[in-house]
Amino acid sequence: MAENQESAATVVAASDIEVDHAGLDASINEFAGPGGDYYSKNFQRIHSSTGFLPNTFNWVAAILGPVWAAARGIWGMFWGFLILEMIAWVQIGRGWWGDPGASFFERAEKQRERAAEFLQRAEAARLEGADPARFEKLAENINNAAEKSEALGAAASSEAFAILLGGILTLLAFKAVQGFYANSIYEKQYSSWRVDHKSVESGRKLKNIILSVVLVILIAPLTVYKFTVDSPLEVLNAFPERQVSAIFLDSDKATLFTELAGWLEQKIDAAAIAGAGGFDSITAGVRSVLDALSLALIGTPWPVVMLVICVVAWRAAGPRVAIFTAASLAYIALLGYWEISMETVALVGAAVFICVVIGIPLGIWFGKSRRAYNAAEPVLDLMQTLPAFVYLIPIIAFFGTGNPPGILATIIFGMPPVIRLTSLGVRGVPEPIKEAAVAFGASRFQLLRDVEVPLALPSIMTGVNQTILMCLSMVVIISLIGGGGLGKVILEALQYAAKGPGLLGGFAILFVAMVIDRIVQGAFRREDQK
Amino acid sequence: MTETVVKVSNVWKVFGERSAEAIKAIMDEGIGKPQVLERYGCVVGVQDATFEVPRGEIFCIMGLSGSGKSTLVRHINRLIEPTSGTIELLGRDVSKLNQKDLRAMRANHIGMVFQHMALMPHRSVRDNVAYPLEIRGVNKSKRWAVSDHALQLVDLVGYEDRLPKELSGGMQQRVGIARALASDPEVLLMDEPFSALDPLIRMQLQDQFKALVAELKKTTLFITHDLDEAIRIGHRIAIMKDGIIVQIGTPEDIVMNPSDDYVREFVQGISKLKLVKAHSILEPLESYEGSLDGAPRADEGADLDQLINHAVGTDLPVVITSDGRDIGVVTKPRLLRGIQGGKE
Repeated sequence: MAENQESAATVVAASDIEVDHAGLDASINEFAGPGGDYYSKNFQRIHSSTGFLPNTFNWVAAILGPVWAAARGIWGMFWGFLILEMIAWVQIGRGWWGDPGASFFERAEKQRERAAEFLQRAEAARLEGADPARFEKLAENINNAAEKSEALGAAASSEAFAILLGGILTLLAFKAVQGFYANSIYEKQYSSWRVDHKSVESGRKLKNIILSVVLVILIAPLTVYKFTVDSPLEVLNAFPERQVSAIFLDSDKATLFTELAGWLEQKIDAAAIAGAGGFDSITAGVRSVLDALSLALIGTPWPVVMLVICVVAWRAAGPRVAIFTAASLAYIALLGYWEISMETVALVGAAVFICVVIGIPLGIWFGKSRRAYNAAEPVLDLMQTLPAFVYLIPIIAFFGTGNPPGILATIIFGMPPVIRLTSLGVRGVPEPIKEAAVAFGASRFQLLRDVEVPLALPSIMTGVNQTILMCLSMVVIISLIGGGGLGKVILEALQYAAKGPGLLGGFAILFVAMVIDRIVQGAFRREDQK
Repeated sequence: MTETVVKVSNVWKVFGERSAEAIKAIMDEGIGKPQVLERYGCVVGVQDATFEVPRGEIFCIMGLSGSGKSTLVRHINRLIEPTSGTIELLGRDVSKLNQKDLRAMRANHIGMVFQHMALMPHRSVRDNVAYPLEIRGVNKSKRWAVSDHALQLVDLVGYEDRLPKELSGGMQQRVGIARALASDPEVLLMDEPFSALDPLIRMQLQDQFKALVAELKKTTLFITHDLDEAIRIGHRIAIMKDGIIVQIGTPEDIVMNPSDDYVREFVQGISKLKLVKAHSILEPLESYEGSLDGAPRADEGADLDQLINHAVGTDLPVVITSDGRDIGVVTKPRLLRGIQGGKE
């Protein structure tokens, strides 16, 4: 303790503290490399100013612009000012050799030609003794139009100078901004370099200079050319896909696209035939789940099903949800959607059931094994990000059309949340509680049953809820591959632009979704409150 | 000699893939923790720990965070496997047990209490306490009876059907202790059980715990980072630093004869009043020149606190007796020095 006190700095009033310029300059010199003295002087000016505006001007940065920024490793500034300077250069280019009046003069010329043509015809008519007045009138009108075009062209041409001037002024303004702010920006870079020597670039590197010059040469001339010239080379407008394909394939007709698409189609067909047995048994499995649910929902007398749904809503989520459920069921039944709605519920239910049965064990596994999770993560991402329409096609190829393939498509989209949240829950079980169970002699199974699953349960339930919502959102999409239920109603209405049926069916889907969502949420909320 | 319950011999724990090389380098070259990390990428948890704990003893392991004390104690029930060395519990080599026997050993003979309680939030207090019995396959009515009894021991009657989160920190830790006691284990492992509690509650629990263990005669390994706590609770204390046990001894030993500067720094601030006994500061009878008539008498086992009580009423020194025989005197300067920690 005593030692600490002795070694502590003597107390000095803040106003008397001297700035250690020598130490700072050495550090700035080390950072800046070439031109270190210049930068230490300018950074000192920046450090001693309190104003908002920059108080230094860097001529090199102003003249070299983006290349200076790149040489000093400030790549954000390089790209920003490269784009800004290019805008200025395009203006200059357009003013210098572009001809903004050209199109007007061209039109005027054409119009004069046509006027001359009409005058000839008028002459011909006069020779034949017909009345030339009509043609003369036309020729006169066209001549007037041509004069107007010429006037417009002249005006546009005179604008070229204004554009040129504007371009130059813009360029100078950007240069000035770079000159004024270069040192401030570089000083910021220096501050972050002090914190992190490794990843913040310092000094002036030849590699950066070469790279930036190459980038400027590749980017700037072509871009300026494309924007300034009236009709640039065709090859710059669109990628020459056919020509490039021809280089690879030696054939004028086929392109890379047609070749690859054909090859893929063959492979998919072959795989579908080779794996027919497996695909069929998956379809059969899914169908049996669906059939069981359909039987329960459609086969049971409708009053019983309605009663059960209302009672479940009441018990799980309270009287308000029960009343809403009864009203929704009344809407569905009165408009004749009962059976088809139950088909939708069966489709969603089957998908959710399969998602949960497969997803929870997978989630537990991924929660316990970091390696398995890392391997599965990209697949889960793909399942969620891939637009549904993309995988509908292979599903048709392998599983055909109808309800079971629809359920499979729903599963692909709906399963990731339950897997993710289950593994999240399992991973989130506090280590000490697991350790305690093990310390009292719990086996792996006991640990899972008594600690991990119960503690992960809230997270698992959230996952199941999300899976249900995801599956509901697929109801309409799967009708595209022959899925039934309310989605089919919507699809048909869409095909015939039938506004009335479409809207009524849409509300039916909305009510089905809301009833399921309310009941599930209500049930989970009660679970949470326990 | 009483029976040895826990016997730890030459236990090493080095985390990392090149642990064998690292151990060899430490033994041959005597390199320290930082060099091991730098050279082999290994972290030394425990370095050559050896000690024995007889039945009924409270053995404290004291050290700062990162000293390896928690790692060491987790070897006893093999939550952590040693890199080398043997651990014997009740005469059986723990590291040779198969998984089934190991689980049986944990369930039947070891109770553990954790710093952060580690109660299961979804189970009632009673079911938490009963969990070790549940693992053993005891039926529910028996389980509940035993856990109610254990809760009685820690003064938690009336809270059986609450959830852990409804209880205060101190009460939760008593549930943790009840859980450790429920299966009536021979050995208790206490991993900083009172560190997360506030000082007053901590003191109460320390006293309660000490009385409880004395009554139940449990062999206890008690981890703490607080030397005061170690001295209050422990029969013997092992002091750990950087994975090495630097000193093992009774609280008095450690306070009076610290083995090195590290321990000395620790014991500096410790009150010696209840620790230092008359026999360690007395002078021979002959060295006192003068009359001892009417001088107060105290047993050689009396601590400084008691000696002060004797000494304040008189100008004479305190005569120390052993089995009724006078064996020495404690003069006032001796007594004052003793309070300071035996400095001459």
